[in-house]
Amino acid sequence: MKNQWIEFYRGLVTVKASGKGIERFINALTRSGINIWNVKNHGTQSVTFKMKLEDAKKIRSHARNSDCRIEFLQRAGAPFLMKRLLKNSGFAAGALAFFAVILLLSNMVWGIEIKGANPATEYQIIKELDKMGVKKGKLQFFVNNVESIQRTLSNNIEAITWVGVELKGTTYHLQVVEKNEPEKPEYLSPRHLVAKKKAVIVEMFVEEGRPVVDIHDHVQPGQLLVSGIIGKEGQTETVPSKGEVFGETWYKSEVILPLKSTFKVFSGNEKVKHSITIGNLEIPIWGFGKPEFEEYELEENEKVVKFLKWELPVSYVNKTFREREQVTRIYSNKEAFEAAKDLARKKIKSSLDENAKVKGEKVLHQSIDNGKVTIAIHFQIIENIAEGQPIIQGDSE
Amino acid sequence: MAKKWGQFVRGWMTKNMELPQDVMMDLPRITMIGQIHIYIENHRGLLAFSDKELRLLLKQGQLLIRGKAFVIKTILPEEILLEGKIDSVTYITDTD
Repeated sequence: MKNQWIEFYRGLVTVKASGKGIERFINALTRSGINIWNVKNHGTQSVTFKMKLEDAKKIRSHARNSDCRIEFLQRAGAPFLMKRLLKNSGFAAGALAFFAVILLLSNMVWGIEIKGANPATEYQIIKELDKMGVKKGKLQFFVNNVESIQRTLSNNIEAITWVGVELKGTTYHLQVVEKNEPEKPEYLSPRHLVAKKKAVIVEMFVEEGRPVVDIHDHVQPGQLLVSGIIGKEGQTETVPSKGEVFGETWYKSEVILPLKSTFKVFSGNEKVKHSITIGNLEIPIWGFGKPEFEEYELEENEKVVKFLKWELPVSYVNKTFREREQVTRIYSNKEAFEAAKDLARKKIKSSLDENAKVKGEKVLHQSIDNGKVTIAIHFQIIENIAEGQPIIQGDSE
Repeated sequence: MAKKWGQFVRGWMTKNMELPQDVMMDLPRITMIGQIHIYIENHRGLLAFSDKELRLLLKQGQLLIRGKAFVIKTILPEEILLEGKIDSVTYITDTD
């Protein structure tokens, strides 16, 4: 017999022939090159046999010549299977749609849980998330990744110190640590105020306590400024002294700045590529070709497709190529000094309190050698130099 | 006369040149596997078929196969494979 599978693929039919001259009919079939097999006798003058579907049309004329009645009993094989599949395609479509819907729903944002925030902050966070597009019912592919959500939230909302964003399945869990504005510590324990550093006193505001020094006094670090012991001799009382003592202090700042420096900056040109990866295979969807940038930075964003709780080996990848340019900055001597001064000022400001003021500055020396500018500046600063020092009980002043 | 002469030549050739008889003389080649299969080559068509009997036309005479539960597994213009329980294989020749 021939290969069963090929017959199955082409399709086969079971034929019932009845009447006189069945033998003649079979002879005629075989002689005209029609393959038949499994010829079985059923009672008197009727046989069944199988044949190829493509030969089915040809047997009619033979049947007419040999006065046999033929009947097709059974159809089997791929062509009939296909026909049935087509007829029942609704089921297949339904199954496919079901998986598609589950796949879609598995990759949606279904909840945002915020922990550790009071209602006001929570509302603010929700609003901020809304702006970013993190909402219930959004597809996760079009939502920023966890790190950037975290960054944006902690940058944009003042009231939070830290926020941890975690994506568990379809829910974003946000763990918030709020900035608890520290309450002003009550100076309950009796204390003195002493000088923090060498200074000349410029101004004094004493709320409580007995000032010991006066304006224009020169003080050394650790020197008593406001005493916490008040009252007359013999009936003294210790209080937590409170107040601000502004003194003029001096700082020296030295800055070295090269005349010529190179930076890498983004030119603003970028190219975005979208693709789907299956295993190791990458199928680009949008954005083809290589970026024409000589130098670029690549940002890759991968979103794994999930199915229920499993992660599929399929992911959506979003690549951004950002062009980078090298920029060389050359200062003239005059510009270099200005820039160095500016830098020095900034440096000093960052190391000081907020309410400190720069009273004056004096360039001590400036020089250029080896393509570098060296500048030393003397700053006069007015700042609060008072610092608390607890009075130890039994310690007589 | 001429036909008989031809047969004589063929018979002589097969005898003396060691050629297979079925090729030379259009005789059926029958292969049987126990009682269950019979394979006949060089037949000339079906004469009668039922589940107890199969009658085949040969070049000379007929072949009658009797048994039970016959199924023709394959039938080609000159070959036939029969399956079932074969009881007897008989040659029917015209006696002239």
